[in-house]
Amino acid sequence: MGSVTRTKLMSVMALCAMIGLLLMPILVAIPALAGDGGAPAAGAKAEGGDAKVEKKVEKGKDVYYKTEGIVSGPPAPKTTDSDKDYPRYNFESRVLLWFANQQHLYYGSFVLAVPIFCMVIEFMGVVTKDKAMAKRYDQLAYDFIKISLTAYSLTAILGGILIFTFLTLYPAFFQYLSGIFRPVMHIYALMFVAESGTLYIYYYGWDKMKEGFLKWIHLSMSVVLNVIGTILMFLANSWIGFMMSPAGVDEQGRYLGNIWHVIHTALWNPLNLHRILGNMAFGGGVVAAYAAYRFLSAKTDEERAHYDWMGYIAMALGVAFLIPLPFAGYWLMREVYAYRQQMGITLMGGLLAWLFIIQATMIGILFLSTNYYLWQALGRMRGAEKYQRYIKYLVFLLTCGFLVFITPHTIVMTPAELKAMGGQQHPVLGNYGVMSAKNGGINVIITTTVLSFVWYMRGNKVSTVSWAKFGNIFMGCFFFFAYLNIILLAIYGYYIPANVRVGLSVPQVATTLSCLFFMFALNSVMMKGAKQMGPIEWGKISARSQYALIMLATAFTWMMGLMGYIRSSVRLFWHVNEIMRDNSPWAYTHTVGFAANMISANVLFFWISIMFVFWLGALAAKKAPVEAKAAVPGRATAPAVGH
Amino acid sequence: MKALMSVVALIGVLGSLMLIGMIFGVVPSNTVRLVEGYMPMQVLSELAIFVAGFTGLSYLANSMGIAFPRFWQGVLFWAFIQAYLKFRIYPPIPFSVRAMYGTVSFVAVFMWVSANEEDWKKFRQPILNVLDANTGFHKALRTMYLILLPILIGGFSFMTMKPNVDEPIELRTVHPAPPASTKVHGKTYTLQTSQNPYRVNLEGKFDQAYSNKLIVEQGMGRLMAPNANPWDDKAEGYLKYVREGGEIFFQNCHFCHGDNLNGRGLHAFAFNPIPANFTDPGTIAQLQETFIFWRVAKGGIGLPNEGFPWASVMPPWEQHLTTDEIWKVILFEYWHTGYYPRTWD
Repeated sequence: MGSVTRTKLMSVMALCAMIGLLLMPILVAIPALAGDGGAPAAGAKAEGGDAKVEKKVEKGKDVYYKTEGIVSGPPAPKTTDSDKDYPRYNFESRVLLWFANQQHLYYGSFVLAVPIFCMVIEFMGVVTKDKAMAKRYDQLAYDFIKISLTAYSLTAILGGILIFTFLTLYPAFFQYLSGIFRPVMHIYALMFVAESGTLYIYYYGWDKMKEGFLKWIHLSMSVVLNVIGTILMFLANSWIGFMMSPAGVDEQGRYLGNIWHVIHTALWNPLNLHRILGNMAFGGGVVAAYAAYRFLSAKTDEERAHYDWMGYIAMALGVAFLIPLPFAGYWLMREVYAYRQQMGITLMGGLLAWLFIIQATMIGILFLSTNYYLWQALGRMRGAEKYQRYIKYLVFLLTCGFLVFITPHTIVMTPAELKAMGGQQHPVLGNYGVMSAKNGGINVIITTTVLSFVWYMRGNKVSTVSWAKFGNIFMGCFFFFAYLNIILLAIYGYYIPANVRVGLSVPQVATTLSCLFFMFALNSVMMKGAKQMGPIEWGKISARSQYALIMLATAFTWMMGLMGYIRSSVRLFWHVNEIMRDNSPWAYTHTVGFAANMISANVLFFWISIMFVFWLGALAAKKAPVEAKAAVPGRATAPAVGH
Repeated sequence: MKALMSVVALIGVLGSLMLIGMIFGVVPSNTVRLVEGYMPMQVLSELAIFVAGFTGLSYLANSMGIAFPRFWQGVLFWAFIQAYLKFRIYPPIPFSVRAMYGTVSFVAVFMWVSANEEDWKKFRQPILNVLDANTGFHKALRTMYLILLPILIGGFSFMTMKPNVDEPIELRTVHPAPPASTKVHGKTYTLQTSQNPYRVNLEGKFDQAYSNKLIVEQGMGRLMAPNANPWDDKAEGYLKYVREGGEIFFQNCHFCHGDNLNGRGLHAFAFNPIPANFTDPGTIAQLQETFIFWRVAKGGIGLPNEGFPWASVMPPWEQHLTTDEIWKVILFEYWHTGYYPRTWD
């Protein structure tokens, strides 16, 4: 057996061992799952003749699934405003917990998203035939994971701080929640160990496993890493899902023995999807901001070219996940309404409605920044001038969509303005404040973003296919009718019952996604073998574009903080909705102003700390400039073609 | 092309003149009416026509060799949007919304003038000229700005800090979150699942699709559907209940909510805000029938504590009407406005 074969065999064995270790906690947990709920029941059945045991078995009804189960835990504690249930410093405990939670979530999202990017980029590097490009992709993936590694340590530290904050300030609540999730708590902990191990092997084994078969093994490890990360996130989501829409417990909050019911609550799946997409978009934004920071501080054209390219890739990946994000959010809200009408109204029409307007503003900023970046990026391509003169029309479309999207249903006004308006609803603007118009607005914004992408992709090219003229006309018509369809459906929504109107979002989304998939595909076919008007001059993009990337990342961060706050505060005075009441002195909803200041403080802290992480990354690169250059020749060579 | 651009430019000029007339009070805001039912799209279409008009003007000016500076294009376009929002749209838009729109349009203008390097250079050149002050004129301008800007900022600060006797701004919540259930006349109703017992078909079974077919047409006419006149003596079932609901409405509710259910009743303007306008798509059209049931039964006094103040003088109608009467009046409100109650299926 040759040494190469032996290495391969060892690699495969190592990978299998890793997967085995990964699956072990789940396998170990399976009997526990059955045991928790099943054991007492089985025991009771086996000793069916024993009347004493029969009496001890108490059954309860699941608050959500409406199934019967054997009571297997204590009821939710009825807390009082005392040092026993709510020990405190001379400060609002909720704010401290908010801070710890938010910082942990920021870093957690980042370290979950970046390995997914690494996996995608590394895969692109492996399958790319162009060797120079392959090396560039590989280096980029390595750069990404390098940033993630420092952030990973911070995530763990912040996780520890979060748990200590819970134990110190909310012991009764934490004891109850950890009691409910006891069957899976150790899985979570073991997953963390598996995640750490895999990440370190993945990072430190990069150079050793850079060629041939070993590279595939290395790539497979990134898949394993991401599977672990995703399971971790799903488990964490099950806790917040339980707090919002509890299941698997009876009315008193007693655990009924079925851990799957506790995990699989009404909002778990929508939260999972929304968080995956959100994390990816956020991760892309942060890496793009990192690239922008490095671009703006670059001393050489070579560096500028590299970070320009890195920023573009990160932005494109982030936006790829940003586009479906509003649809996932829509599904989440729909499920919230289906779960509890009052929760939905509190969110979107009631107490928290203004926060949703702020959220709409942030979403608009995200798309506006993306479009602006793409228009700036057209400037580094020769031949793209033909598209630049039409940008003003895209600005108009985006602005109209944005204005409709942010129009509040609940308007802030003085009593005098209210009187002058002649009622609570403005006869013109009131129509923009409802969902039908907003669906139209956001779909117009997204479709315009898709159009900007299409222009960018063909910026420096002229199609040479024989049917180019027909193709261009077809694309023009497709976009025109897409806009028309979205707008007409938005208008039609006013004339039909609400349950049908909610369903109208499906054809609207389908229209937008059709533009995305069909037009991208058609454009790619048309641009195959296209005539190049000139190369993409990486590094020759305006500084404004980089500020747009920083704006994109900041808006992501702010929006994450905002949405987290909205999601959490919709429970109003409940720790666990309708099960465990919050009896602390802070069981009230903060004012919009306080919440906004708190979110801004969290965003500021995150960016200051992540700057430190960036600085560390730059420090490591500075220490071995010659070696790095020698190891990766042409590292910063600008690719001539391709986006 | 030139002819087409001339036409759109003419429209742009006419529109601008009309707007200027509105600003100076020469032309009333409603000279070109905002048509009920079409207002939202009318406003967006008008804006699109203006944009086309300005493009036409710019095209014609360029073809005649008159280059209108990009800087002033940007500044004037932004000013136009502000003027349009303030003087064209009626009733007046509250300042908070105009501020939001103003900010968005400011960002939009910035995106437009800086979308490419050439435009951006053109846009910032006048600013740089003033800052560099290479000519006497620019020097004078710079000096003027140096004096005026602190005065303006100082004036703004003074106005902000000056004690204000106006009533404070209220962040009112239009739709209060309802409870999971409500108890009326001794019976508990779960809001998520309860149904209007009078929304029935000819067999007496709950049938929303059936009642949906019999409501009046939405829009200005509010025409009745054929063979669906509740005041027909032969009307039975759903339509009969609508008639009974109508009678209750006109005996109790129309004094405030108005004959046309638009919130402009005899006593409406004694209140601020005036009573809810049911013909607006943002009120009952957005809500489940049980939500209205809860609001009617419990009135302003029964609203939840969060989101105070509510500023509602709606009486708790459970003290004056029977449960059946409340359901029937709700039936009438949906029938008359032509809206469908929200459902979740």
